[in-house]
Amino acid sequence: MKPIALSAGLAVALFAGAASAATNPLDLVGPISDYKIYVGQQVDQLVAHTQQFTDAVKAGDIAKAKALYGPTRVFYESVEPLAELFSDLDGAVDSRADDHEQKEKDPGFTGFHRLEYILFSQGTTADAASFADKLNTDVKDLQGRIAGLSVEPKVMIGGAAGLIEEVASSKITGEEDRYSHTDLYDFQANVDGAEKIVDLLDPLLQKADPALTGKIAGNFKTVDAILAKYRTTDGGFETYDKLTEADRLALQGPVTELAEDLGKLTGTLGIE
Amino acid sequence: MTSRCPFPHHLFSRKPEEPASPSRRALFKGAALVGGAAVIGGLAAPAHAEAPPSAASPVSAVPFYGVHQAGIVNPAPAAGMMISFNVLAPTRTELSQLFQILTERFAFLTQGGKVETANDAFPPPDSGLLGPVIAPGRLTATLAVGASLFDDRFGLGPVKPASLQPMTAFPNDRLDADWCHGDLLVQLCSDSAEINLHALRDIIKHTPSLLMVRWKQDGFLPQSAVEAAGKLTPRNLLGFKDGTGNPKTADAALMDEVVWVKRGGSEPAWTAGGSYQVVRIIRNLVEQWDRTPLIEQERIFGRNKLTGAPLDGANEHDIPNYSADPKGKQLPLNAHIRLANPRTPETQANLILRRPYNYSRGANKAGQLDMGLLFNCFQADLEAGFITVQKRLNGEPLEEYVKPTGGGYFFALPGIPDRNRYLGQSLIEAAAAA
Repeated sequence: MKPIALSAGLAVALFAGAASAATNPLDLVGPISDYKIYVGQQVDQLVAHTQQFTDAVKAGDIAKAKALYGPTRVFYESVEPLAELFSDLDGAVDSRADDHEQKEKDPGFTGFHRLEYILFSQGTTADAASFADKLNTDVKDLQGRIAGLSVEPKVMIGGAAGLIEEVASSKITGEEDRYSHTDLYDFQANVDGAEKIVDLLDPLLQKADPALTGKIAGNFKTVDAILAKYRTTDGGFETYDKLTEADRLALQGPVTELAEDLGKLTGTLGIE
Repeated sequence: MTSRCPFPHHLFSRKPEEPASPSRRALFKGAALVGGAAVIGGLAAPAHAEAPPSAASPVSAVPFYGVHQAGIVNPAPAAGMMISFNVLAPTRTELSQLFQILTERFAFLTQGGKVETANDAFPPPDSGLLGPVIAPGRLTATLAVGASLFDDRFGLGPVKPASLQPMTAFPNDRLDADWCHGDLLVQLCSDSAEINLHALRDIIKHTPSLLMVRWKQDGFLPQSAVEAAGKLTPRNLLGFKDGTGNPKTADAALMDEVVWVKRGGSEPAWTAGGSYQVVRIIRNLVEQWDRTPLIEQERIFGRNKLTGAPLDGANEHDIPNYSADPKGKQLPLNAHIRLANPRTPETQANLILRRPYNYSRGANKAGQLDMGLLFNCFQADLEAGFITVQKRLNGEPLEEYVKPTGGGYFFALPGIPDRNRYLGQSLIEAAAAA
């Protein structure tokens, strides 16, 4: 189905209409439990892949480490809304140079992007070992904390919007992975993570607002189709600079509309 | 300038054989609701256009409907904003839908009323910047199209305004691609920056899949000059009065000559009532300027800095007599005002209506201020107007102190008579018939 932008008028009509019926909390038990399983699997993969990635870094195998960088990060990006609940770890694992006053020179600049900077910009692994060890420790810490986390409905539901806001604010500009240009891995992982949440909620959303649900599905489909053009034969992605201006603009509309629409999910499901 | 009576059950006109798409129907509902909002605004605003809007309207609404768009010949209020957009709409159908949504939002925002609300579990439809009831604050929202809108996406090429073209760099320009061009330009002008920001956020909120901001620059005018509109000329950030020689906007016949595209001639018929709009972000190197002797500053502009009088006259509005000073002894031949408007019979065809704002946006790494002129002008003929004037100015001594860095050429669409039409409809219909 071709996504059709709903005009402001309909949005107004929806807003002005009857308040959405509150979802029975019992109906959310299944989706939340399934989501926890998904997140647990993603984080397990994150830990395993990070081990391989940091092993390559510490072995001084720059080519292998570079190749593993993008595919490893996807397991963090897909569950970012939950990972971000632990702001100390999120900063340590996924902060960018821009998040620090002294940029690349800042000692607080650690994690994936520090290793990305070392591998892709400096082309060495000379000073990388301590950062590699810390990243490994941090993702294991994250695994433990997420295992003990009780997921609130609004955290899961709001997570879909949060992931797309990530895409809309930084992934679409190619500024996330500025040294490696592996942004499309992150882009797809954010979208996958959001889509997973929407899929799990689909029966409830279909009941609450089939038009909105259909529009969301259409926009996910459009985004996935454009990203699929940049898949490589090994299942990875082309570098961000290969993304044509036309495709970047074609992604902008559906992503922005998804951000608007996913922001309405808690209201649509009547979750306070 | 026709009746502003609210029309709650209005439908946009469409061909009888054309089925209404779901989105169109949605828009009709929206129109009805906005109509409802207009009723509320209408309680405070004069119900009929015969009443002079600025004098009689306690909510300071500038009429939205008319032969020409507002925001061009009405006096410039204190706060201005230029937003250039990329259009994301994939086909002409969605483009027409975008024009309809923009028209609907402009009509509401400029006339004011109660904002939309929602169930508390939803994001609020309105940003809330202006509270629950919007007072228009002299807001005008003016829509213009750029040359890129006429590429192969929408099939508009055959009806492109005759001299609409991408802005190209003049010798003194240092254009930054991120600050140039655009498919659409929205000009927002009002009494305050918040009113413009509220309008911009409303527009963005209502067009997520259709529009993307490309660049945005806001500007300001001295409050004293705004309050004494027409009597006190605003100063630019170089400290000189800017706009003394502007053609008088109260002179409708002159505006027809200088500003508005006329029916007939070389322009497509749909453009009648519109105007070519040029926006230029011109950085002023103010530190260097402030270290320049007054006499040199005045010779660069050709005016007395304090009074604004031309260097061969005594008062601001004295007309310089260039024929009496052929060698430029009093008013140098390369002074800005002399090059910009040589005041010969031949150069009458090059008159433009300037409507600029000042801007300020931080500092560079050298610790120098980034401020200057958000130049903005309107003309019936882009080649004879801005382009010719700027070519005369190429190489002027002022160039040492100014650096144009962005902007673009646009065509401000004709106005619409009432809510039965939408901005850009004449363009869409002309393309469909071409």
